[in-house]
Amino acid sequence: MIQVQGLTKLYGSLVAVDDLSFAVAPGEVLGLVGPNGAGKTTTLRSLVGIIRPTRGTISIGGRELERDPVEAKRQLAFMPDEPRLFEYLTVEEHLRFTARLYGIRDADGRIPALLRELELDQKAGALPDELSRGMKQKLAIACGLLHDPTALLFDEPLTGLDPAGMRRMKQTIVERARHGAAIILSSHLLQLVEEVCTRVLVIHRGRLVAIGTIAEIVATRPDLQGRSLEEIFLALTGT
Amino acid sequence: MIGAALYLARRSLANGLRRRLARLRQPKYLVGFAVGLGYYYLMFLRPRFQSAGGGGLSGSAAEGIAILGLAALVGIGWLFGTSRSPLAFTPAETHYLFTAPLTRRQVLNFKLLRSQLALCLSSLLSVLLFSGGHFPATRVLRVLGLWLVFAALQMHSGVTALVRQSLEEHGVTAVRRRLGAIVVLAAVAGVAALTLRAQPPTLQRAFAVDAASGFDALAALLHQGTLGVLTWPLAALVRPALAPNLAAFAARLPAAVLVVALHYVWLVRSSTAFEEVAVESAERMAHRIAAWRSGRRPPPVAGAAKRARPPLTRLRSAGSPLRAIAWKNVQAEWRGSGVRLPVLIGIGVVVVAWVASLGEAAGTGLQVVAVLFLAVGAMTVVFGPYALRNDLRSDLQLWDLLKTYPLRGADLVAGEALGPVTVLTAVGWGCLLCAFVASLAFDVPGFPVPERGAVLLAAAIATPALLGITTLIQNAAVLFFPAWISLGPGRAVGIEMLGQRLMTVVGSQLLLAIALIPALIVGAVAIAIAGVAGVTGVWLAVPGAAGLAVTVGFEGMLAVAWLGRVFERSDPAAEIGG
Repeated sequence: MIQVQGLTKLYGSLVAVDDLSFAVAPGEVLGLVGPNGAGKTTTLRSLVGIIRPTRGTISIGGRELERDPVEAKRQLAFMPDEPRLFEYLTVEEHLRFTARLYGIRDADGRIPALLRELELDQKAGALPDELSRGMKQKLAIACGLLHDPTALLFDEPLTGLDPAGMRRMKQTIVERARHGAAIILSSHLLQLVEEVCTRVLVIHRGRLVAIGTIAEIVATRPDLQGRSLEEIFLALTGT
Repeated sequence: MIGAALYLARRSLANGLRRRLARLRQPKYLVGFAVGLGYYYLMFLRPRFQSAGGGGLSGSAAEGIAILGLAALVGIGWLFGTSRSPLAFTPAETHYLFTAPLTRRQVLNFKLLRSQLALCLSSLLSVLLFSGGHFPATRVLRVLGLWLVFAALQMHSGVTALVRQSLEEHGVTAVRRRLGAIVVLAAVAGVAALTLRAQPPTLQRAFAVDAASGFDALAALLHQGTLGVLTWPLAALVRPALAPNLAAFAARLPAAVLVVALHYVWLVRSSTAFEEVAVESAERMAHRIAAWRSGRRPPPVAGAAKRARPPLTRLRSAGSPLRAIAWKNVQAEWRGSGVRLPVLIGIGVVVVAWVASLGEAAGTGLQVVAVLFLAVGAMTVVFGPYALRNDLRSDLQLWDLLKTYPLRGADLVAGEALGPVTVLTAVGWGCLLCAFVASLAFDVPGFPVPERGAVLLAAAIATPALLGITTLIQNAAVLFFPAWISLGPGRAVGIEMLGQRLMTVVGSQLLLAIALIPALIVGAVAIAIAGVAGVTGVWLAVPGAAGLAVTVGFEGMLAVAWLGRVFERSDPAAEIGG
């Protein structure tokens, strides 16, 4: 579903991402981990078309992002750590607006259901300013899920959420994967990665350090046998 | 306390200057700095004319105008002001001052003291601006006098904000919040009307002589009877700034200081909710700063959550994405705009029409109304695209979100620009129509109603084309030079930023002129063809406007396609460091 081949991003002489290749299959949750400045955010932003890679190709559902960005993006949803909302659109208008952008035909039927599912139906006429942090996050998720994306990318999805919100977010990720979506989750919370992800990609200084299930990674490094994910992460990144 | 405030002001100034100087190593800031410096020289320091103490107005006339100006500022502040205090604390100030062993009054004194440097600088620049490049020693008195005016205004705004904040916290609705101010202002207006009821003929005669005599008569009225009592604090405040010499300044100073002192006492006594207001403001500011630094949209400024106005039209969930983006931007204009500007313009139109109708040479009020609507319409076309910024200039704060949308860049750019163009076209057409309707009430020799209709039609055709191309140029500027344009409502400060803005404005004007050359040629050709076909007189303006609109429209389509490709290839991280 998500194919990345030789992804490289340069900022002048700075190599933010260096020849990164990996794939995420439907139903899989790939955890993207690495220390600060490792290139996680650059990778994610390249994958959703925010920034253009210097080299390499990215395909979403068989559509190459560079050659066919509109159709590739139609299958994507990006959930940033901070919800990005328009100041003067109400909750319901955000969903209608998203429906127009993604060309969703049956949105009128899906919007009320989605609002109810995310407990936003009482706030349908509210502006973002009237919403709590958690509600804004829910709205951003609702906008992201409205077009039923087959590839989802989460950047620090638990930031600013209360315990109930965290639980719901984790459930959302797992359920979407169960329904066949390919998911990439970038986070510093190794516990979350361990709990939700089926595979882990460790990135350091822009380069892929390790990829696979924790068992597969440990198999390549017998010295890490019996260690926690935190210890494995620290050993792999030398931090 | 004073030592700490001075230390903070001194070090902040020094470090800020050092940082700005270091930034000049980058060519874009250096060029901006040079242009900004040139602008300041031209505006403030270049000798232009010998100022003759008030530019032809007598002292009393200048005082009258100053009193009216201050009264307007105070009235607008109470009617339309926000709960944002001009004495808002920065997050760092909140952290250090509110946790320090200081009384509330000491904290307030600290803030007032710290803000004096900025007020003093504002006074100096204001005096320099009107000095014509000449700065005799007596100008120092004007700077000091103006400083007192600014200090009193700052404290007055502080009181206004505290009162509003207190009412908001007690759940008082917006209308009821304004009720007190409305009652007081209505009472003042009533007193003014009673005082002035027999005066129009006197004023009319005075203005008929010349403007200076008219303003002299107006100033004399402001000092009469009850009105004189009401305007005394304003008069006391402005007199030192208008003093012709040191002796007069010294004589007028005590009364002005008394007004400032009374404002200080008022502010201190109003500050029961001071800490809460200050802390809340600081938190909001911290959120905004964090958002800007991460290249994202900051949270809204107002403290209380806004209620959504009902949409102008409901967005259907199926249809063109381009129109959805335009609809979003129209909603932002509709929901983001206050009633302040339309009300002020309305009051302005009525007042100007009334004043103009006083003079013998002026026409009827309706003639003036027609002219004013034409003027507002023209200003909408010329300045509107710079004022309405709900397009890429606002949405590039969400650059990363826009780039995730499954849209062609050209569709996105077109949708973004279409929003403000739609709003401005509606306003422009509205003004043209109002002017036309008002003109039906009177005769204009040699310009019958059908011909006025032809001009109306031509102007209506040209309006969206001109608005479209100007808006697109502004959007192009923000796409090509995002670091030079203020994204959203905020404005970066500094000489180099001013220079960058000036260059952008000049570049935009140049581009507009270039875009209009072929349009004017095609318009002229259309007029010639229509002339051959038998169209005559003012009616030739219609094909001319159509030729211009078609050409500008074609240019706009090319520009949209080009800007769309630029947007698709843009990198938000590289452009704004997000």
